[in-house]
Amino acid sequence: MQYIKKLKIINFKRFKKFEVEFTSEINTIIGDNEAGKSSILEAIEMVAHGSRNKVETIGIESLLNKDSVTEFFVGGKSFESLPEIHLEVYLSDDSNPDLIGKHNSDNASVSGLHMIYYPSEDLANEITQVLAEDNDNFPFEFYVVKFITFNGEVYSGYRRFLKCLTIDSSQINSEYARKEYIKTVYNSTVDHAARVGLKNEYRQQKGRFKENNLKTINDDLGDYDFAIRSGSKFNLETDITLIQNEIPIDERGKGQQCFIKTEFALTRNADKKAIDTLLLEEPENHLSHTNMKRLISKISGSHQNQIIIATHSSLISTRLNLRNSILLNSSSDKPLRLKELSTSTAKFFMKAPDNNVLEFVLSEKVILVEGNAEYMLLDALYSKETGRSLDEDTVHIISVGGISFKRYMELAKTLEIRTAVIRDNDKAYQANCVDNYVDYVSKDIKVFSDTDNARYTFEVCMYQDNQAICDDLFSGGKIIKSPLEYMLAHKAESAFDLVDNHEEDLEVPNYIKQAIAWINE
Amino acid sequence: MDKRVIFAVAGSGKTSSIIDRINDDSRCLIITYTDNNTRQLKNRIIQKLGKIPEGTRVYSYFTFLYSFCYRPLYGYGLKTKGINFNYPLPRDAQKTRKDTRKHYIDKNNRLFSSRIAKLLIEFGVVPEVIQRIEQFFDFVCVDEVQDFAANDFNFICELANTNVEMLLVGDFYQHTFDTSRDGQTQKTLHDRFDKYCEKLVNAGFSIDLESLSHSYRCSPSICSFVEEGLGIEIQSHREDEVEVYLVVDEQEIEKVYSDDSVVKLFYRKSYSYSGNVENWGNTKGLDHYQDVCVVLNPTTFKAFNSGELAKLAPTTKNKLYVACTRAKGNLYFVSEEILKETRDNS
Repeated sequence: MQYIKKLKIINFKRFKKFEVEFTSEINTIIGDNEAGKSSILEAIEMVAHGSRNKVETIGIESLLNKDSVTEFFVGGKSFESLPEIHLEVYLSDDSNPDLIGKHNSDNASVSGLHMIYYPSEDLANEITQVLAEDNDNFPFEFYVVKFITFNGEVYSGYRRFLKCLTIDSSQINSEYARKEYIKTVYNSTVDHAARVGLKNEYRQQKGRFKENNLKTINDDLGDYDFAIRSGSKFNLETDITLIQNEIPIDERGKGQQCFIKTEFALTRNADKKAIDTLLLEEPENHLSHTNMKRLISKISGSHQNQIIIATHSSLISTRLNLRNSILLNSSSDKPLRLKELSTSTAKFFMKAPDNNVLEFVLSEKVILVEGNAEYMLLDALYSKETGRSLDEDTVHIISVGGISFKRYMELAKTLEIRTAVIRDNDKAYQANCVDNYVDYVSKDIKVFSDTDNARYTFEVCMYQDNQAICDDLFSGGKIIKSPLEYMLAHKAESAFDLVDNHEEDLEVPNYIKQAIAWINE
Repeated sequence: MDKRVIFAVAGSGKTSSIIDRINDDSRCLIITYTDNNTRQLKNRIIQKLGKIPEGTRVYSYFTFLYSFCYRPLYGYGLKTKGINFNYPLPRDAQKTRKDTRKHYIDKNNRLFSSRIAKLLIEFGVVPEVIQRIEQFFDFVCVDEVQDFAANDFNFICELANTNVEMLLVGDFYQHTFDTSRDGQTQKTLHDRFDKYCEKLVNAGFSIDLESLSHSYRCSPSICSFVEEGLGIEIQSHREDEVEVYLVVDEQEIEKVYSDDSVVKLFYRKSYSYSGNVENWGNTKGLDHYQDVCVVLNPTTFKAFNSGELAKLAPTTKNKLYVACTRAKGNLYFVSEEILKETRDNS
């Protein structure tokens, strides 16, 4: 089975130089807005389709990396130093000599496809003249695109080496996406010989229609005849569409279309007719929660195709196994892979309730807390302590529920996220907060907790450090219990009351002070 | 791994010996010299198997050299655009040193056809070519091997180090073309058969003169004419006799000439005659003629009469040999001069 092993990108959109490896099954690309998730799918699609027309319509100006243009002007302008776009798709199938050769920047004799968008050598003279002008005129118009296999052989959309299908929910109603979808699933379902036969039959049927049904009309027209158009623009493949329960799938809502198209594509994998690579662009858009869950189960049940998904959704990335994730960071050109994560941790996030994993993995500094009370109060405590807000310092607070700290800590270790864990000592500081995490702490991961076993939870600490406020707030009225008992019984409520009434004048427990200081070190 | 050169006689089933080795799961590389031959081989495979097996590739020599060897392995950095087949090489290219770009590539970034093989040898690409062949194929066939000359012959010798079975077939006496020429390089290669074999043996090939020493196409009558007249060894699988003689009677000449079932083969310029005609050299590899009439130009007619055909210049002799051995049926000879006169009179 053909699949993409590696993608290498040079000077394309936000990537100056970028390389990412894929597995033969599911790959989820997760990342912030502008991290380049869509550009990766776009690059793969361009190379797979081999359509010069499509790429030149988009144009070099919007595809060429902006920094490479700036550097070109800084580095002294010459024809040789003009930046080129290279998109290299390294493939798994090493049995076809037409695909194998050294036409790639790895300089290895391997299988793959290569798109090059470069200044035309035939126009070198003209380009040199443009460059000689005393201004920042970049010769975009002189660029041409070519598609070659690693063998050096030119290919085009007519000869596709990688059967690749994109389902992009935001583009799903565009004419191009619609055509490409139908064409790809049709071609992958019906083999070449059968397609040619059907096309031929369709043309003959049109002729018969004219003979049988238009005859009486035409008989009155003398030398003229009405006929049914045929030819390259009017044939079976331009007319064919896909319907489900008598409804053309193009006429469904966007969300439903996205679901049906993905599902249908995934079922098209009987023997060799499968689509090699399925590209899913943010499938969470337009999908209801229920449909998203159905879609996820369809995807995870599919083992025939390579699937590459760009997503913002924690649900998708965790449910499809975090170990398949590739994390893009807008500040770095190196993707991070989560495949080193232990199987049990990956499984944990698959089963755990809907969570904030994506928020966590996309952060640089995180404070993990046990529950909602800490979560609500920490914002106020942080501002009190530092005079700045959490957002200003890009520190994220995530409430994880006591027992799963270790899962997040493992993730933090893999991704090198600076993580402060704030937890209760539960009356056994040494055992619960020190010995427990020996294998998990590192220079970037630290556990903070009160060392005094008498101060065994967050509420006890808050009460003791802010006794006057708490006594005042949590006694009288309907409250029968002592203030501390009330706080322990109504953790979230009492935390909310504290934030709401005394945001400015709370005393910060010492271990939390330490955590706040450490996270910003 | 067996590395063998089979020297075959005309009509002994060279092509069949290759086709016989191909089946549905073959991983076989077949290299022929001409495009014509490539097409024929492909057709024969399709006749046998209904299609070209997935693992089998039939390349004409320059497609193999450029698209399979040079371009994938060495073409990325050099940015070349195709092949320059002009002969001879431009003077300035002849004078360049073999470690310079100009030695191999012209002003328009095209490779000199005669030096692609040399480039691969000089720049150490051969080991990678061998690796690439081993990656895709278990069996390499080279057809019409006698036409490989100069650097191309050296390249074929280098390929003897490939760790797959190799079968080279050819007929030394059907050497009528050269893949390429380059100054003094292997200039005397085809002068003597024994020296030629020696070079192949030194490269690592064994020589087989037995397997294809008998012709299916030609009857013993033609074979003995070729052996006695041209001094080229050839035997026949057949036992029937056919007619082999010089036509002298004007009426009979006219009859043979106007009979379109008999092909008339000329030394050259067959286009100036009408009817079923062809040049000697162009009929190599063709197998569809029944009766053949070989038209002798003045030089060869003279040699024919004096019994000195064996002393003709090698290229001429080889072409004549090719022409004579096209016949499955009778073989007639006619003097071109007399034919012309007869035509002018009528």
